[in-house]
Amino acid sequence: MMDYTQPQWVKHVLFHPFEGFEDLRWKKGGTLKYTAVILVALFFALIALDRWCGFQFRPLPDTLFSVVPYIMQSVVYFGAWVLGNWAICTLLDGEGTMKNIAIYSSYALIPYVIQAFLEVILSHVLVRAEIVFFDLVYYIGIIWTALLLFNAIKAVHQYTFTKTVVAIVLTLFAMLVILFLAVLFLSLFQKVYVFFYSLYTEILYRVRV
Amino acid sequence: MKTHLRRRLMQSAAAAVTLLYAASALALPASADEPYDVYNYNRLGEAVPSQAGYLAERSVSGIDLGTTALNAPSDLFKDQDDFFYLVDSGNNRILKIDSEFSEIVQVYSEFTMPDGSKTKLKNPKGVYVSPDTGLMYIADNENARALVCEADGKVVMEITKPESTVYDQGLTFLPQKILCDNAGNIYIVLNNTTRGSAMFNADGSFIGYFGANSVAQTATVIANHFWNAIASEEEKRYRARSTPTAFDNFDIDTETGFIFTSTSAGSTDTDIVKKVNPEGYNLFSYMSNYIWGDLFTTWYSGTSYKTRIVDIDIGDDGSINCLDATTGRVFQYDEEADLLFIMGATGDQVGAFTAGNVTAVETKGKGCENIYVLDAGKGTVTVFTQTVFGEIVHDATEKYNGGYYEEALGPWMEVLKRDGNYRRAYLGVSSAYYNMGRYKESMEYAKKADASNRYNRAFERYRSEWLREHLTVILLIIVLLIAGGWGLKRYLRWLKTRPKRKPGFWDWG
Repeated sequence: MMDYTQPQWVKHVLFHPFEGFEDLRWKKGGTLKYTAVILVALFFALIALDRWCGFQFRPLPDTLFSVVPYIMQSVVYFGAWVLGNWAICTLLDGEGTMKNIAIYSSYALIPYVIQAFLEVILSHVLVRAEIVFFDLVYYIGIIWTALLLFNAIKAVHQYTFTKTVVAIVLTLFAMLVILFLAVLFLSLFQKVYVFFYSLYTEILYRVRV
Repeated sequence: MKTHLRRRLMQSAAAAVTLLYAASALALPASADEPYDVYNYNRLGEAVPSQAGYLAERSVSGIDLGTTALNAPSDLFKDQDDFFYLVDSGNNRILKIDSEFSEIVQVYSEFTMPDGSKTKLKNPKGVYVSPDTGLMYIADNENARALVCEADGKVVMEITKPESTVYDQGLTFLPQKILCDNAGNIYIVLNNTTRGSAMFNADGSFIGYFGANSVAQTATVIANHFWNAIASEEEKRYRARSTPTAFDNFDIDTETGFIFTSTSAGSTDTDIVKKVNPEGYNLFSYMSNYIWGDLFTTWYSGTSYKTRIVDIDIGDDGSINCLDATTGRVFQYDEEADLLFIMGATGDQVGAFTAGNVTAVETKGKGCENIYVLDAGKGTVTVFTQTVFGEIVHDATEKYNGGYYEEALGPWMEVLKRDGNYRRAYLGVSSAYYNMGRYKESMEYAKKADASNRYNRAFERYRSEWLREHLTVILLIIVLLIAGGWGLKRYLRWLKTRPKRKPGFWDWG
């Protein structure tokens, strides 16, 4: 019963939003390799949404491109989500390990990634008047991903419905705190670096003169 | 003998240097003559270098015209027959100048009143000549009156402060600018009211006000609305009122009858330029916050250099020419208010003006071949002449705005050859190809123009055309796919369910 290979697990989880993750947990399926692949796909999906859409939908000036926001929106947000969720749910008697949280959450993102690429393809075929199809794909993707993510968290920690809701809200808050701290540390380290660098140049001058 | 030889040598050296200069001048582009960098705005609102549409040809002073120097001239007007009327305010006279702007035809300084007495102007500020009747309208500022007179200086009518109850009797009547419409109604800009220009009947009776600006919807104004709604009558009297800024110059498009107003007050961004129909409705109200002139306000040592449009002129081709006193620039727009050219600067050279002192702009010719800018500081009129590039752009614009997109294709292509930064040309080419049914090219140029909606329009047609062309192939592929899928399924099932038999001698496995 349920002796799936890894690709079969992905399929099973995607099309069984309510029991899929429970099964995954029961049979100890899922692998971090797929998490990496999905994150890379998400990164390219976000870029594709902004850059590769048909010109009738998203005309962006070619002069502006920075890869940093896309890394932020894919890898950094995901990392903050996993870290925040792990931190919160450890306190809330969650059973999930950090690895499992990462795997389950990333599997839940698959519909979103697929809808992004679908949107890119559709945008080359549709005209503006048919934007409703565009929206349809978008909402299906978003709702599907939200459903999966919710059940992923619920399964990985073995929570009840209410507790999952609370955990997710707290996780979002934790993400904010983590990102805030990250920015704080970045600017702090920048200052420290500048300080040591100026010390170094100063000493260099003294030595030379 | 020696000195003679030396002089010969010097002369030939001078000639060689002159030749060298001439050769280097030939190698430079035409716009290098300008005392300023020619620019235009791209779609993102960035200033980019551009080809000059007009070059400053010469500047004409009062002495050049064969009279005394001009003293604080304040208005310039061109009539139906291409005669110019220059209001020389400081000398209390109006000069009628020929169409070449080289000599004076007539000097108006004394007028004959209907009763036979003589009268003189005192600091006149504006002049207008009706194309229908040939009557001359003068805003005689310090005499607090407006004169309507014939070409020979015989006054037909004198308009003074109206005694109507609509006109607040506490106000003075100091006409600044004047014009009359096709029906003979007279409009006078006063500098002491925000209710619009005073409007008079053809017989000189006061009708009311015309074409006031709207109030800019700032947070303060909205807050005022709120407090006024709950304030009592007593309180309301002491509350600050929201009043619009007054426009201070105007021009009439004699062909269509629309009056264009310009507002120079730096305190507002609303209704800088209006296009008012005879009912007083502003046809540019949908773009009342459109930025006329420079898109950016420069700040330099605590002073802001914001565009102040002091005069507006409607060319014979419908172009809107706005004069910016701050930078001495003329901004030429087409009738749809799309920017065509920018020319002028502040400075001392020909084509540059004293800051804050330009007072009037006027155009001449069917395609706006000449632009005249009056500089009160220098007391000169500078004549700009259209370049070949300007001519082509005007030609293309006129055809394009008239709906002759295909005819405009040639000129637009020519424009692109000369200036690849000129965005409107890409739009024009895109539209032309669209109308010609060449949707693929239309899409390409729409993309270059960064015009998403045009791209969408062309793509829609391109797609339906493509579908129609390839319908048989598409249907064939679909049928094949369905049939193939069905066949594959059958085959796989057959593979699974076929009776297993022992491999024969010739079989592989």
